[in-house]
Amino acid sequence: MKLYKDNKVAYVLLAPWLIGFFGMWLIPMFISIYYSFTDFNLLNTPSFIGLANYMRAFTQDKMFYQAMKVTFSYVLILVPLRLAFALFVAMLLNKKHKCLGLYRTLYYVPSIIGGSIAVSVVWKQIFGNKGVVMSILEVFGIHQKMSLVGNPKTALWVIVLMGVWQFGSSMLIFLSALKQIPGSLYESAKVDGANGWVTFSRITIPMLTPTIFFNLILQIINGFRVFTESYVITDGGPLDSTLSYVLYLYRRAFNYFDMGYSCALAWILVAVIAVFTVVLFKTQNNWVYYETGGDE
Amino acid sequence: MKKNWKRLTAITMAGIMACTAAGCGSGSSGESQSTGAAGGTQAQTTAAGGAETTQAAAGAPSSGSGENVTIKITWWGGQGRHDYTQKLLDAYTELHPNVTFEAMPAGWDGYFEKLSTQAASGSMPDIVQMDYLYITTYAKNGSLADLQPYMDNGTIDVSNVDPNLLNTGKIDGKMVGAVLSTSALVTGYNPSVLAEANYAEPGTDWTWDDFKTMCQTVKDKTGKLGTAVGPVDDTNIFHYWVREHGESLFSEDKKSLGYKDDAICADYFDMWKELMDGGMAANPDEYAQIQTLGQEAGPVVTGDAASIFEWNNYTSKVAAVNDTLKMTTPPMLEGGSKGLWLKPGMFFSVAETSKVKDEAAAFIDWFINSEEANDIIMAERGTPVSSKIREYLVGTGTMSAQQQDMFDYVDAAAELSGSTPAPDPVGMSEVNEAFKNAAYSVFYGQATSAEAAAAFRAEADAILARNN
Repeated sequence: MKLYKDNKVAYVLLAPWLIGFFGMWLIPMFISIYYSFTDFNLLNTPSFIGLANYMRAFTQDKMFYQAMKVTFSYVLILVPLRLAFALFVAMLLNKKHKCLGLYRTLYYVPSIIGGSIAVSVVWKQIFGNKGVVMSILEVFGIHQKMSLVGNPKTALWVIVLMGVWQFGSSMLIFLSALKQIPGSLYESAKVDGANGWVTFSRITIPMLTPTIFFNLILQIINGFRVFTESYVITDGGPLDSTLSYVLYLYRRAFNYFDMGYSCALAWILVAVIAVFTVVLFKTQNNWVYYETGGDE
Repeated sequence: MKKNWKRLTAITMAGIMACTAAGCGSGSSGESQSTGAAGGTQAQTTAAGGAETTQAAAGAPSSGSGENVTIKITWWGGQGRHDYTQKLLDAYTELHPNVTFEAMPAGWDGYFEKLSTQAASGSMPDIVQMDYLYITTYAKNGSLADLQPYMDNGTIDVSNVDPNLLNTGKIDGKMVGAVLSTSALVTGYNPSVLAEANYAEPGTDWTWDDFKTMCQTVKDKTGKLGTAVGPVDDTNIFHYWVREHGESLFSEDKKSLGYKDDAICADYFDMWKELMDGGMAANPDEYAQIQTLGQEAGPVVTGDAASIFEWNNYTSKVAAVNDTLKMTTPPMLEGGSKGLWLKPGMFFSVAETSKVKDEAAAFIDWFINSEEANDIIMAERGTPVSSKIREYLVGTGTMSAQQQDMFDYVDAAAELSGSTPAPDPVGMSEVNEAFKNAAYSVFYGQATSAEAAAAFRAEADAILARNN
């Protein structure tokens, strides 16, 4: 009886989240499966067209492949860079220091604000035509015909750079993992005369592999969902060189009223992410070291 | 020492980030604010819904000058338009105390994204400011009410509106939009830049060759841009170009492009590439920067470029910042046909789901025909459609020189206009995107103009066939 009462309170307290979860997330998700098999255009009554939307993506849609290409390049470049940078900063911060809390907060700030429109607008100004970066390059006598954002060859890098800048959450996870590596390991290494690099590659990295694995999966999933940056900074341009997959499906849905097709695109992305995750999990036995022996 | 170095690095980096963070602080708080506001709006709507119910319950006693109604209205525009439109709504409420408005102003960006979701969820505002670009899409899906009955019974008086213009709101036999204004393509220019370049101001008989000479002269003499237009942002200027070649952009059944010869398109791309390569027109990179400035700080307004292609309300739109700008008709094609047309500027449509159609129609009538309303609007939405109102506004003498120009221009343009093209086909925004992509591939030197023209045709035909 008492237990039941306790539960009731819990459910009441959970209600806001549960309502959000079902109303904004789970139910819409299942509805979108249905829409992906229809010709829904936001305004009509959807009628069932089977797998036509999926067929269309793979056989007729050149933009689909372009968006895929851009998103894959983005993920493959971004994730290693972001993790490396996060680890680097985490190592710097892994010291006993008075202001450690302050630094940790400061470095985390970009991750909080990085996804916002305002920062993207600032980014656009910095790297755009007549922006700060171009002016600095001019000072050094490097005359660019096009700005970094305006050049199809470099635009994606600007977006990647912004992603790397948002390294905070991985950094925090690395930091806490670093703190858990037993000091005795380092001490004995020191006694054996190992230098910094050897300690790093033989102790730190192996001990961190579970964390690296965790971060890797998290960041890959995040990377595939990139939207704000390419929407605001470049609007997918120039020449679709930054047309991210989610931006493309957003355009399909809300600019071209192609909702059914757009839902199909969304589910293709889900499948791609799932494949990536499963493959990574399969490889983990080969490189991830669990001190406790692991579950598998 | 090594430790110190590390500490220094950490401090420096933290400092940089603190600065960046401070610089962007307003951004993040702004976002959280807007989230809060969105929540607030939702709460408000719920509250409004509640109020409506109570109102309906207490509806019986308040049988005075008609039942109390709330009309939801949405439009796109700049801050100036938002301000006076709100004034307009207040004025109407004063005249008709039983009618109140729930206004949802927005910028052009995102306006139709929002509208489509509202339409999908059945919560489309009662009165919707509608563009020629999308009216077919909404009409075909039955989201817009037929206004013909209201025009027939005189609720919306259209006796002073040109029938050709009026019929642009008629799609598949239904009058889904009441046209509010006329507009026509213009070339806007900054006379002081031309004077600086010692180039005579263009007349209505100038040609594309004159245009190119002008751009070249401005570039050579002043180093400024000859034109700051984004020639492939949409297909309007290209449409004009095609019409000058005696063809139409879309076929009659709207299932394919209307012109036969890809050279028309290739020539257009070539002309602009030449201008861009010569530094006479803004290349895509420079243009992206220009776009972030907004219209009122655009290079033509600030005197950093000589000309632009725009609609005929251009000079009055930016008059607050620079009132010396002038307009003329876009260049003619040597030996070509009349390319101009009077475009319906914008429409008011009423949602099919609206429960206050009568009141909405009455408001639209007031908007179009009353002197009082037009005293407030002052032709900001383009040249008014009612000939009586045009006469009235000219008669009051309160119009600025720019507004006078805008009115005169419609007459000048009428002389040079061919027939009004049919409303844009469904899928128009996608066609525009394909056009931009094809053009940019030429501007970036990744394709020849012939290849791009062929690619655009293939894309456009596929889009049109799928949608129409």
